[in-house]
Amino acid sequence: MRRLLHALAIGLIGAGIAHIVILLLVPSFSERDAWSRLAMVAGPNKVVRLDQEIGGTPVVKALDPSFFEAACRFDLDEGVVRIDNAGKVPYWSVSVYDRSGQNIYSFNDRTATDGTLDFVVLTPAQMIDLRKELPTEFERSIFVETPIDEGIVVVRVFVPDDSWKPTVSRFLDGINCDIQ
Amino acid sequence: MLKQSILIALAIAIAVGGGAASVGMVLNSQEGIGAVSVGPWTAFPDIGTPEADPYSKARVARDGVLALGRAEGLSFVADRDSAGVTLKSECNYRIEGSLPVARFWTLYATDRAHIPLKSGIRRDATLHSLEVLRQPDNSISVAVGTRPEPGNWLSVTGVGAMNLVLTFYDTPIASSTGLSGIEMPRIVRVQCNA
Repeated sequence: MRRLLHALAIGLIGAGIAHIVILLLVPSFSERDAWSRLAMVAGPNKVVRLDQEIGGTPVVKALDPSFFEAACRFDLDEGVVRIDNAGKVPYWSVSVYDRSGQNIYSFNDRTATDGTLDFVVLTPAQMIDLRKELPTEFERSIFVETPIDEGIVVVRVFVPDDSWKPTVSRFLDGINCDIQ
Repeated sequence: MLKQSILIALAIAIAVGGGAASVGMVLNSQEGIGAVSVGPWTAFPDIGTPEADPYSKARVARDGVLALGRAEGLSFVADRDSAGVTLKSECNYRIEGSLPVARFWTLYATDRAHIPLKSGIRRDATLHSLEVLRQPDNSISVAVGTRPEPGNWLSVTGVGAMNLVLTFYDTPIASSTGLSGIEMPRIVRVQCNA
């Protein structure tokens, strides 16, 4: 009996240790995180719609149904990434996530000077290079300096009602996410 | 010898099984470290940020969530009404009260797996602040249920437990200092059809 209690006590202590170990390992071993799900659907620098309008199951969970969203994965090793689009929509917001899905930087349409979506994601070293001689096409861009190489950019656009759906879809489908 | 190896196997089984089960249980519950509760509503302002606790990080990785950033907004989830009873999609509820400051907000219902509920008719299963009718004191009163109701109506269908999600966009409360002392609406159960 005493040995059974002993085994149970060891089991419970072990459960505590296993709890902590499993908890800390989940982020690094998860194959269901946003990056893995996006990688299954599209390659880097390809814009993917996250809402269900494209059909099939949503790529990423827990999305607001009043929003249409698009995402693209980027790798700054190959150059700076510029995300831009000329359209006008009621509200857009942008988040930059790192490889593990943590939000590094976010802003919305009030940040842009005239409400147009045009920003460049780059590392601090690339920023220094770019500052020496700013290309004219970047004159109006917002610069987002990140300490990361790989990441995800998500653009969310509010859809107030059905009549906005075509406009918002066109806006999202027209987004470029190209290496410059 | 056999008895000893059974005891060792038991200890290992409790350790691994109990550890895995407790992690799963904590991650599935709406409560948790880093949660901010205002009445029946719960938000995780730190979720998806580098400052998040290990539980939030694990939840983000497991569910493939891309959480809203600070400049985007903050999402509140309710799985119980103001009396502490589990929300069910076959029941009628009324959401009443005033809301924190935001550029706009959206309200929708989901099941426990965070899949948005369908309205069942040709009507969006969401409400947002640009289309709601307000009370004279700028508070809101929204009916939630399967039957149409005058005023603001959030249409839901189905049977079983549901969550209500109220998201504020471009709001000062998303920065943690703004979260103290905010007012959120009550969720009152009107009746159940079951």
